Order: sequence, then structure tokens, then C-alpha cells
Amino acid sequence: MLAEIGFVSTFLAFVASIYAIIAAVYGGRQHSERLVASARNAALLTFPLLLVATGALVIALIRGEYQMSYVWSVSDPNTQLFYRITALWGSQKGSILFWCFLMSLFAVGALVLNWRTHRRLMPYVIAYTMATLAFFLGLVVFYENPFERWWIVGEEAVEAALIPAGAVAPSMQRLAETANGLNPLLRHFGMIIHPPMLYLGFVAFTIPFAFAMAALASGDLSTNWIKATRRWSLVAWLFLALGLLLGGRWAYDVLGWGGYWGWDPVENAAFLPWLIGTAFLHSVMIQEKRGMLKVWNMFLIIGTFSAVIFGTFATRSGLIDSVHSFARSEIGFPMFFFWAAITVISVGLILWRWNRGELKDEHPFVNILSRESLFVLNNVVFVLLFVAIFWGSFGAPVISELFMGEDITLGQDYFLRVTPPLFVALYILMGVAPLSAWGATSLRRLGKALLVPLALTALFLVIIVVTQHTSDPGALFGYGIVSLAGFVALYETYRGASARRRSIGESWPRAVLALFTRNRRRYGGYIVHLGITIIGIGVIGSTLFQQTTQRTLAVGESVDFGGYTLRYDNFTNAIADDGRQMQIADVTLIRNGQVLTTMRPRHDIYPTQPMTIAASYSTLENDFYVLLVGWEETNANSATFKMYINPLINLVWWGGLILILGTLIGAWPTETLPVTLREPAAVNGRARAKA
Amino acid sequence: MAEATWEKPAAPAVKTGSGRLKFLIGGLLILAAVTYLIISGTGAGARYFMTVDELVKNPDYVGKTVRISGAVIGDTIQYDARNLIINFTIANIPTEYENLAEELHAAATDPSRTQLQVRVENQVKPDLLQHEAQAILTGTLQPDGTFQATELLLKCPTRFEEADPGKVITNPEA
Repeated sequence: MLAEIGFVSTFLAFVASIYAIIAAVYGGRQHSERLVASARNAALLTFPLLLVATGALVIALIRGEYQMSYVWSVSDPNTQLFYRITALWGSQKGSILFWCFLMSLFAVGALVLNWRTHRRLMPYVIAYTMATLAFFLGLVVFYENPFERWWIVGEEAVEAALIPAGAVAPSMQRLAETANGLNPLLRHFGMIIHPPMLYLGFVAFTIPFAFAMAALASGDLSTNWIKATRRWSLVAWLFLALGLLLGGRWAYDVLGWGGYWGWDPVENAAFLPWLIGTAFLHSVMIQEKRGMLKVWNMFLIIGTFSAVIFGTFATRSGLIDSVHSFARSEIGFPMFFFWAAITVISVGLILWRWNRGELKDEHPFVNILSRESLFVLNNVVFVLLFVAIFWGSFGAPVISELFMGEDITLGQDYFLRVTPPLFVALYILMGVAPLSAWGATSLRRLGKALLVPLALTALFLVIIVVTQHTSDPGALFGYGIVSLAGFVALYETYRGASARRRSIGESWPRAVLALFTRNRRRYGGYIVHLGITIIGIGVIGSTLFQQTTQRTLAVGESVDFGGYTLRYDNFTNAIADDGRQMQIADVTLIRNGQVLTTMRPRHDIYPTQPMTIAASYSTLENDFYVLLVGWEETNANSATFKMYINPLINLVWWGGLILILGTLIGAWPTETLPVTLREPAAVNGRARAKA
Repeated sequence: MAEATWEKPAAPAVKTGSGRLKFLIGGLLILAAVTYLIISGTGAGARYFMTVDELVKNPDYVGKTVRISGAVIGDTIQYDARNLIINFTIANIPTEYENLAEELHAAATDPSRTQLQVRVENQVKPDLLQHEAQAILTGTLQPDGTFQATELLLKCPTRFEEADPGKVITNPEA
């Protein structure tokens, strides 16, 4: 029954989204309020329908309805409740349905929140969001249906949504016995949250994209679309950043190679929209303040959305060999088609409006040291970084195969050579741009403003040299550039607060609080900069100064490594609740004669594969990361360990937390006016007359 | 937020010749620098992807960094955990195939396929290194005919996409 309920609801949502597109576009062109309202209702209807569909799948997963082939493929009777629920996105079919559910949720949110204020944009916002939703629902309905069931036709077991002729249902017991269970690699906190975060980021970027396209289609080319979607963009950006960080954390904890970022094409595919989205977040500010870069902003949001769809396509189609591209699935072609169609239509719309002269900038660029110029430079660097990473991950392999008849991939060497100079440029701009003024800044003024942050940076470098015993010029240069950006953010906040103190006489905490309340975007932005600085310091430390070694130890024996002593105490075999066998080494970590902790690096044997689970001891200074890589089969009297010292790696995660905090401050709603009184310019005459 | 919400009237853009030129030259310089970076990076990072057949039959590739893929033959895997040395043999798989799992199975069990001995040093044996896994290796072919790999990636298609997952339901012995 659950399968039928789920499938029928999904199908109805598909029909509703198609109707919404047609009614919205036609109603928008004919200026028919009734049709547009009807399109809205259809769009709103997709949410309850998809809630039912997703709910049906979740209930089926919880109840272990193994006749449904999706449930069968991602869970088994030993799977715990928590993993049963998260199995919703444990494999492709469920992921796409979940994607649709989130897309519908966000579309409904955008329609409800902006229906009155941005009436003129609404028909096209409906059309674009529903077109995206309809496409993914089409994939669910026609290609990747999670509501299919196992049937036995003759001797064969087949998956089908409708009961095939002459089919009998397989026995429940047999199904339960043969069910697969969730891929063990995915049984980790980071992996549970990482996909939904990325999906949320991807889906949320559809909203600003839809508004941008609605602006082009409707002719309302003011900054309305930017204002309406500022928070959506920030939220999308935040989720994407979280998805990337959690993915890194998962790799670090589960994959057991001591690192968190491997420049794998699939990682890059998620990084690309983040890069171009970051450029977008910065450059829309220039359009809001100065009426410049209108065409450029449109290209950036199209680029972001296009990168989102391309990333999904690239990772799902088997276009690129990667540890992540699990399945060469049938959806490659439709996804490519959708991506190409959306990109061509969007670029066509821009060119049309541009040609009509409706996207002219209101100010020219005059001074290279003005804030707008520095923002543009930041944009250029972000886009170049995008191009460089895109080329390395997708461009070179695909072009070489298509046109040179050779299969060339670019390894880590490429990324480690090309990206650092661009990251350096970004950090320098992050340090300088906040100090510049709109219109023009003199070099002298800029230099003066940089004085204190530069002094703080010098002090910080001295501390690094003394405490870390580092004299590596490359590392010091990196630390210097990165920390300067952070000190500028801190110093600017201090300056703002101290100005308030002087002029209004507020206390320090009050002044800081007022600063953040008055200008959330600016000061929230500084906190994000601070977070990125801290991540940067962590990346430099853990990349340049990682140490590694391996040793075979007899029980009771110790090894000294990186200032720590590791002692091998004991070896145990155990069986976990879910049936996997665990081989665990008990080790003790000692520093300066003091026992710090006991750790249990282990080796899990799932029916399908073994997994090496690292143990680590974290401090601000570094992580001691240890893997159990071998042992004597008979009695484990000796075992081999691989050990890593990862300096400053925790700053990567903590910087991530600061980044979240800053983004939340920047995105927190400030307006308390009722919706109807907000931005009256956005409500066109007809809508106002009606209201 | 007040400063963020005002709207400026559209003014015709004023062109300043020297300003534009400055931006243009700056932009071109940046573009040139990054193009150089990308080209030189491509040269340094490029790895030619080829089959075991192509590599073994062409002596020109000895000593050059290449990327190959092949089917792991389970019986040949030797792991010296003490010194972190992995030895195993892979069998040729063609670049085009219908079903990866079936192709790997065919390659690993067919003794007439070209085989290549692989040696990986200083690496922990990956969990996925097992019979009929697809090994994607970066490294160089040594004069003695073994392949010294610096990077080892593994894919086990059987776990992610069963060739015929339903078989186990109808066939209790499977």
C-alpha cells in the first residue's frame, strides 16, 4: 500500500508542477491574475503531495517493507532505526525524491514569503522553480522510482512499479534475509548530515536563480530580485559550506588516509557552485549600492545554478572516474539535457535584455582602489579559481577524450600548483577590500588603515615562529596573508565599536551588539571572514606540516612520534550489534610521562567489505591520528600502526563553526515592518489596486 | 539597512578612456598569468589514462607517469603490513564495456588477458583491495616490467550496483 501511496503522490506532484509551469507562464504573459493564482496553488500543492510521498518511503524504511526494492537495497533487519530513516538519502533513488521534497519546500517558502511584495516576479518564479522540480520529479517517475517492488515472474526477480503479468510476490522472509543493508562507508555522523546539507545548498540556490530569471522575463530589472533573495542566497551558501565541511570531516574520520580534501572530481563538483556562489554574494552588494554589474550578477547566478546541476549530473552520470561516482546511471542524458536547456534559455534571456539596453550600469568604474573595483577583482579571482578547478576536474579529461583521442586526467599536482596563487590573491583581497571606500580610496588612506592589522600580523608570525619552530618562508607567507584578513575583520569591528563608544558613549559590549544589530550583513560578513581565516590557517598547518610514520609494536612496546608516545596494550575481537566483526587494538597515548588517553583504532569487517576506522586525539595544537593496519593473525602479539600528526587541523572545523555563526548573523531577519508596508515599489499598480 | 534600499535613477554611463585602459591592461595581465598557471599545471599534472594492454605493448612508456586501470586478481594480493608494501597483479580491462562488474569478473578469471604486476609502497592496504575490484593506478612502468604505483584508487562495482541484484531472491544458493 505504501508503495502505491508514494508513487501516486509523486506522480500527482509531477502533474501539478507541469500545470503550474504552463499556467504561470501563460498567466504571466496574459496578465491573468486568476491563472497565476491557480499556478501558485498548484505549486503549493506539490509540497503536501511530496510530504506524503517522502513520508510513505520513510515509513516503509522504518517498517522494513523489503518488498520495495529501495528499502531492500539500503537496509536490512539489523539496521538501526536512525540509519533506517537516513537511508532515505542512502542511495540514488531515495536521494532524488528527497531532493524534490526539499525543492518543493523551498519553492513554497519563496512563494509564500514573497507573494505580495514581489508580485510582478511571481509568475516566472513559479515557472522556474516548478520546471526544476518537474524535471527531478520526472526522473523519479520515469527513471529512478524508489517505489518499485520486487516481483517474481517465472524464474526471474524483477523490479516494477506496476504488477507485471503473471507475477507473484517473493516471500517476505526471503526478502528480509537477502536485503543489503546501508553501505557501511555511509554509517557515519558526517555522512548522514553531509548529503542533506549539500542538497539544501543546491536547492536553495534555485530560489535566487528563479528570481533572477523572473526579473529578466518580467522586465522588473531593479534590485528587487536581489533584495528578495539575499537571505536565500546566504542560506544556500551556508548549507553548501556545511556540506563541504562535513564531507571533509567524514573523509577524515572514515576513509583513513589522514586527510580531508583530495581534489577528487566529485568533491570539486560540490566546491564549484560554492566558489561562484561566493562571488555572487559579494557582487550583488555592488548592484544594490551602486547599480553596477547587472549583467555580471545575472551571469554569476546562472553560473551557480548551472554548476549545481552540472555537479549533480557529473557525479551521477559516470562522466568522470572517481571514488564517489558509484553508479553509471541512466539519468546522465536527461540531466545533461536539462542542464544545457536551462543554461541556454537563461543566457538567451540575458542577451535579449542586454540588447534592449535594459541592463546598463548606473556608474562607471573609475578608481582601481575603490571598493567596487576590489570587489570586481575578488569576483574575477573567484571565477578564475572556478575555471581552473573546472578545467582540472572536467574540462581536461573530457576535451582530451573527445578531441585528442587520449584520456588525460589531472592529478593533485595540478591543483596544488594552480590553486594556491589564486587563494593567496583571495585572502589578500579579503584583507584589503573591507578597508576601501565606495567610489575611490587613496593609496595613503588604505595604507594607514592597514597599519594596525599589519602590526598584529607581524606579532602573530613571531608567535608562530617561537611556538611552532617554523621558519619555512612559504608557510610564514601563507600564515601572514591569511591572518591579515582575519585581523582586518577584527580591527574593523573594533573601530566600529570604538567609534560608537566615542560618539554615543556606549559600553563596549553594547557598542559591539549595536554594531551587529545595525549592520548585520557587514559585521556578520567580517565574522565569516574570520572563520575563513581560521580555516585557512588550519589548512596551511595540516597540509604543509603533516608528519606520518608506521611501526610494528609488540604488546607492551611503545613508539615515540611527534612528541607523543604510543603504547600498544591489548588486542580484542568483538562482534557489534549489527553483526559486524571488530578487531580492536587498545593503545595508550602518553606525553611528557603523562597518560593522555586510551584509544581504540579498529578494523571492522562487514559482510560486504572491511573498513579501517581511525582513532584520534585532538588538541588545538594538532591531532594524533592512528590507524590499525596489520596484526599477527594467530595471537596479535604484534600489530602495525600508521600514525599521523596533523597540526592545526581542528582549526578547519572550528573555523567552520565561526563561519556558520557569521552567516547566521548576516542572514538574520532585521525588518519588523509588516509585509504589506515593505518595499512598496515592488508591488505593481495592479496588485496594489487589488489589495 | 537604509543605505541598501534606495534606488538610484538610471544615469548614462560616463566613459573615461584612461580608466578603461587601466582596467583592460590589468585584466589582461591577470588572465595571462592564470592561463600560464593552468597550462603549466596541466603539463605537470597530466596523467595519460591507458589500458594495461597499451602500456605493456609500448616500451616508450617505461618511466613515464601514466594512469591505468585493471581488474585485481585476489590470489595475488600480498601485503607486508610491517613495511607497508602491497604487491598484486591486475588484468587488462578494455576502455569500453557494458557492465563493469561483469567485465571485472571476466578479466580476473581469464588467464589469457594481459597481466601486470603492481607494487605500492608506503601505503596502508586499502579496504577495497580485493578480488575483482577495479584498481585505478597512477605510477610508472619499471624496466623490469612491474608497475610502481604512487596512487591507488579502488572501485568495487558489485557493492554499489549489482549486475543482477534480484538473483539472490529467487535463488537460495546464490
